[in-house]
Amino acid sequence: MVKAHSSRLMALGNAGRWLMVVFIICTALLFSGSASATLTARANHDHITVDFFYHGSTVSVSGVSDPDADLVIKITSPEGHQALRKKGKVAGLLWMNVGNLDYENVPALYFLTATKKPEDILAPGELDKAVIGYPALARHAEVKPVSDEQEKARWFAEFIRYKEASRVYGITSGNINMSEKDGKHTYYTLFQWPYQASPGDYTVTAYAVKGGKIVETAESHVLVEQVGVVKRLADMAKSRGALYGAISILAALGAGFGVGLVFRKGGGSH
Amino acid sequence: MYLYLPVALTSINILVPIGLGLAVGLLSGLFGVGGGFLMTPLLIMFGIPSTVAAATDSNQIVAASTSGTYAHWKVGNVDFKMGLYLLLGGFIGGLAGVQGIKVLQAMGNADFVIKMTYVLMLGIVGAYMFVESLMSMRKKKEETPKQAKESKVGAFLKSLPMQTHFEKSGVTHSLLLPVIFGGFVGILAAVMGVGGGFLMVPVMVYILRMPMHVVVGTSLFQILFNCIEVTFLQAYTNHNVDFILAVLLLLGSTVGAQVGAVFGRKLKGEQLKIILAVIVLVVTVKIVFELTMSPSLLVSQGGGH
Repeated sequence: MVKAHSSRLMALGNAGRWLMVVFIICTALLFSGSASATLTARANHDHITVDFFYHGSTVSVSGVSDPDADLVIKITSPEGHQALRKKGKVAGLLWMNVGNLDYENVPALYFLTATKKPEDILAPGELDKAVIGYPALARHAEVKPVSDEQEKARWFAEFIRYKEASRVYGITSGNINMSEKDGKHTYYTLFQWPYQASPGDYTVTAYAVKGGKIVETAESHVLVEQVGVVKRLADMAKSRGALYGAISILAALGAGFGVGLVFRKGGGSH
Repeated sequence: MYLYLPVALTSINILVPIGLGLAVGLLSGLFGVGGGFLMTPLLIMFGIPSTVAAATDSNQIVAASTSGTYAHWKVGNVDFKMGLYLLLGGFIGGLAGVQGIKVLQAMGNADFVIKMTYVLMLGIVGAYMFVESLMSMRKKKEETPKQAKESKVGAFLKSLPMQTHFEKSGVTHSLLLPVIFGGFVGILAAVMGVGGGFLMVPVMVYILRMPMHVVVGTSLFQILFNCIEVTFLQAYTNHNVDFILAVLLLLGSTVGAQVGAVFGRKLKGEQLKIILAVIVLVVTVKIVFELTMSPSLLVSQGGGH
């Protein structure tokens, strides 16, 4: 009886061991399977501090990728609303502001780079889904007031021209460097970060593309933040306008009188 | 060297605002204008958002006009009494002008009216000052100056009530005159979004018949108060004043205003008028050019009126 019980226990123990072995093998297979395709993205300069001497920066994005996949890397600010003035001809002769345009669902900053032109490696549906490229951004955005799609396309193109001139929108391709490091396939690309980009949180997204589809996505962030006196002045201008105005006026009055006195002492009077 | 501007949210080479301040301050000390009609477009050209450019310019004009008023006051060229009546009118006119903008905006096409008023005013004032000072320079060469004949308008102005003598300017006018014309300039300045120095100077010269050197000092005095009010309102309601940019600008403009005042004393009234007229006409031509040439970008930053 005791013998029978112990042999049953042994049988159960063997089954448990087998189960554990199977579990370990499965787990190992699972991890080794994804390891070759895992996409990572890291922005080297993920906290840009804006002080008095800030004149823009650089942000490099690097990571591990599948050697067979193409890559698209996008940096954007959160989407929002932007109001612009539109210029038009009045009386067929004079160019002036003829009204306002409201752009919805548009980021303040939009940088995109890819191993090849995005429209050559991604199906139209995929471009739209991930809002990759200006045509996809145009379909994603709303422009008001416009009478038809043609007019929307025209004013969206003007919006892009304006943003590119302000250096906060840009699309490039073919400048992602690939290399092998410690048996891993790595990528690296560099973005010139413009000083015109406002403080805020920016999202870096890397897309791995195969067969016209996005197969993997990895994300990272870049925080641009004012610090020190720059931050204190900006905060004061926003939250304590009266005090800020009074200080600005007193400083100007003081400077005006001060220079006047200096000139008098320097023999500037007649 | 570049400095980051916390409200304009942009970076600028410090030599640019200091140099601009010096140049515009010089004009301010010479002619008694704030120079906003030159400075604001120049700042926009260097990448400062238009709303911040206008607000910050008014802050630096406080410094430049303090420096200029002080320099002119030292040599007795500020008529405080006249300045105060002009200020009173300007203040009432400014309030009316702001309401006027609201009406224009409600009617639509406000920008057209504002731009046209600006071009016409600049053009008329510039052309009139140019021709008049040219003629008076020629006359002086030909004959000894005579007292100008009393015109019908002059006689009417003399018949107005509340006549008072303005000692510094050496003129006698009704108190209503500076208040009404100050108000008129105030309305136009508010509609055009400028300080109005280029309008106030001709009003003082041709209507109030003040001597040119007193005009410059008195104009700077009233510009100073106008710009204090505008700076405070801009900082309080729109949060558009960039203190760092203003400091960089005033480093140049306060010195420029002193140098301008010294230079101004060496020039004759007619010479000052004709140079100011040429500057105003050049700005007019530039604006007309901008209005007729196709712009490189068809959208621009929104905000402000």
